[in-house]
Amino acid sequence: MAYIMLTLLIGMVLGVISVASNPSPYFAALGLVLVAGVGCVVLMGHGGSFLSLVLFLIYLGGMLVVFAYCAALAAEPYPEAWGEWSVLGSVLGYLLLVVGAGSWFWGGWYEGMWVPVDELIEFSVVVADSGGVALMYSLGGGLLVVSAWVLLLTLLVVLELTRGLARGALRAV
Amino acid sequence: MTPTHFTISSAFLLGMMGLAFHRTHLLSALLCLEAMMLALFIALSLWSLQLDATGCSTAPMLMLAFSACEASAGLALLVATARTHGTGHMQALNLLQC
Repeated sequence: MAYIMLTLLIGMVLGVISVASNPSPYFAALGLVLVAGVGCVVLMGHGGSFLSLVLFLIYLGGMLVVFAYCAALAAEPYPEAWGEWSVLGSVLGYLLLVVGAGSWFWGGWYEGMWVPVDELIEFSVVVADSGGVALMYSLGGGLLVVSAWVLLLTLLVVLELTRGLARGALRAV
Repeated sequence: MTPTHFTISSAFLLGMMGLAFHRTHLLSALLCLEAMMLALFIALSLWSLQLDATGCSTAPMLMLAFSACEASAGLALLVATARTHGTGHMQALNLLQC
């Protein structure tokens, strides 16, 4: 299990490096999908299956799909992938940085610190992370109303930004 | 620093460096911002899972909602930039250049 978690954490860092190294946005979105997928499996390894499901549905299935559609705005005849020297140089630089920073810490890493042992301390009816999220509807109702208001406000913001006809941020059309 | 803590910290910092340094396209800067938000979500979730503090699991959910708002505002700005300047490249945003 520790080796699985090691592989997943390395996969997460490699995915973020693949986004941060400035490839064409098509490939950066692909790298972000990889990071989200691996991050979900990390969360599942710690016992948070509901939060992992929410991340997959909302983040990958909602937000990243919209990013993928907007990648049509970045269409160019020769998109740069990670084989181009400019991107590969950034990848190697970031890898060196992460390995260098990790070399400070990995002297103190031992076998037992990769996954928590006690996912189920006692017998319980309610799953830990789902039960915690249910608090959002009972005690945390105020913040739920606030975030619903913020989401409605964001819809109005987006509609106003893309209004066009010399009002808002669009000038040419 | 535990390996998990190191991983999510370095994911956040790498995303921030990717956002700050030389970019060609505005969309790839927005994707680095999304990578930062993802690292924060995983960090908050792991916090609540590792401390067995189930009440803290509302924090990543609300953070995801606000990060969706921010992503949509950023994409609306990208669309407005592309339709005003004709391209989404960062070089086109040079009105305030000295």
